[in-house]
Amino acid sequence: MNKTYGEGETAVHAIKDVSFSVKRGELLLIVGSSGSGKSTLLNMIGLLDRPTSGKIFLDGIETTTLNDNEISSFRNSKLGFVFQSANLLSDLTVLENVILPRKIQRTDENAVDEAKKLLRTVGLEKQMNNRANKISGGQAQRAAIARGLINSPSIVLADEPTGNLDSVTAEIIVQLMKSLVKKLGQTFIIVTHDKHQFSDVDRVITIKDGHAFEGEEQKGMEVAAS
Amino acid sequence: MDYRIQLAKRMLTNKKGSLIGAVLAVSIGILVIHVNFVIFQGLYDAIVRDLKDYRFGDILVTNEEDYIDKSDIGLINWFERNPYVVAATSRLDASASINATKLGKRTEEFRIPVVGVDPLRDTQASTIHNTVGDGQYVFARNSLVMGSRVARDLGGVEVGDNVKLKFVDRHGEDQLKRFVVTGITSSAGGQGLDGSVIVHIDTLRSILDRTDETGAILVKLNDPTKAEEIRDFFLRSFPSDDFKAETIEESAETTLSGFRSGIALINLIGYFGMMSSAFAIVTIQMMLVSNKTREIGIMRAIGAKRKDILLLFLFQGMIIGAIGAAAGTGLGLAYTFYAKETKMQFQGSLGLEVTYNWEKIGQTALTSFGLAIIASIYPAYRATRLLPVEAMRTV
Repeated sequence: MNKTYGEGETAVHAIKDVSFSVKRGELLLIVGSSGSGKSTLLNMIGLLDRPTSGKIFLDGIETTTLNDNEISSFRNSKLGFVFQSANLLSDLTVLENVILPRKIQRTDENAVDEAKKLLRTVGLEKQMNNRANKISGGQAQRAAIARGLINSPSIVLADEPTGNLDSVTAEIIVQLMKSLVKKLGQTFIIVTHDKHQFSDVDRVITIKDGHAFEGEEQKGMEVAAS
Repeated sequence: MDYRIQLAKRMLTNKKGSLIGAVLAVSIGILVIHVNFVIFQGLYDAIVRDLKDYRFGDILVTNEEDYIDKSDIGLINWFERNPYVVAATSRLDASASINATKLGKRTEEFRIPVVGVDPLRDTQASTIHNTVGDGQYVFARNSLVMGSRVARDLGGVEVGDNVKLKFVDRHGEDQLKRFVVTGITSSAGGQGLDGSVIVHIDTLRSILDRTDETGAILVKLNDPTKAEEIRDFFLRSFPSDDFKAETIEESAETTLSGFRSGIALINLIGYFGMMSSAFAIVTIQMMLVSNKTREIGIMRAIGAKRKDILLLFLFQGMIIGAIGAAAGTGLGLAYTFYAKETKMQFQGSLGLEVTYNWEKIGQTALTSFGLAIIASIYPAYRATRLLPVEAMRTV
């Protein structure tokens, strides 16, 4: 797929001919420097943005033909998001934030029990009734991970999940995500500019100037579609 | 509870300043309508009350062509047999020239209306006798109650003074008659007979040589809502007589039509005020959308549809409208209660006739509630247009 902003001489080619696949239960790292196009790529995978050309298949469904409501439903049920700054709703408690995707889906029976279980898994049992703006950055990020998992999504997309955290907290988050991959078989696609925080991942894709390379940056090679 | 309602409630309560501002806008809009109604409708109703009580009654019977030549006692008895009729009385109108001599000085002569009343029945069918603050009502054949404006124009006539009236009788001849002033009448608001003089009806009949004639029959009811029904029944009962029977709205039409236009204009201004409060809500809601741009992006990212965002802000509008309408209606009712209990009046003018118009109260509350929702539509629509990725970048 491709993503271009603007037209003519002022056009910016953020993503150029990128093509790859992700297996279930895989922890895929997308690395690149600032401005390389990795967040743009993640936004397109997460259906928050549309490619200028190309197709995106998630769980066998071609998502580029879906309308706005279908995309919203797809995001809700198939995708989980962990943003750089957690992005919890400050008007809700931690528990209410985690349940929110289920309430949007109108399947909130047992949602409270499942949310509590997830919050126990991420170590936030004691903070579940705190307002989201009354917890630390690391706790918010853990709550965001729990929110991303509540609907048992096919993929969890994390955009710089440790970007706003100190090194100790960042390490906790990284280990948590790795343990979730192992324990739940959850598929994670993580975008980061600092690949050293994430060792022992299944795959690494490097984005440079809009192009994608498997593994560490290798000159002249592109990943073939699978 | 739907999560959108819960979230709307939570967002509003966490922005108390905006909520209070929006609620105040709605409730002040309603309060203005209530105050307008109490004062101006109260004034109108007070004028109708006084016109009815002093001059026209609930039903006024006259003759289409001339004077009523049927027995007035017979007509009065016919009315008083009706269970809705409290009392009925005869009146006779004329005009005369009046002058007075005070301390040897004669005042300028001018024309005034003269009202002939049956003093015994009149005190049951009207309350004009209550406006005689100085002296007493007409009882003797040569006594006269003078309107306060007439007394002033005659140079300060007082109780006990003599006045001379010159009439033109039915034959066109001048008739002079001297009267003793036994009372001065003055009504708050001036809807009484302040510009007339009141004499005994039989005296007036004798002067005008209209002994068996009557100008009008005033009828007082215990249930004013039955006026049209009784009027129609009366006209059906006397089909061959040239009677004209009017309810207070009909007989006082000329006086009241001007007030009605004024009240309609005041009400319109009040509703414009309410619409201004709707603009305040639009502004506040736009501010709330702006403050919640990031949250809207997050909700869209985790799967909320545009419709969910629209409903979220519409629910906020409903909450603002409901609280505002309740607060405004409460304040309005409190003001109405206060005005009614204290018999509110302004600078000694007639006391307002304050009533609770529940239909109008409900209508005002519902209109205000509806306006709050309508005012939320544009901000809600703007919220749905935000792209999730851009919205989440907002700090």
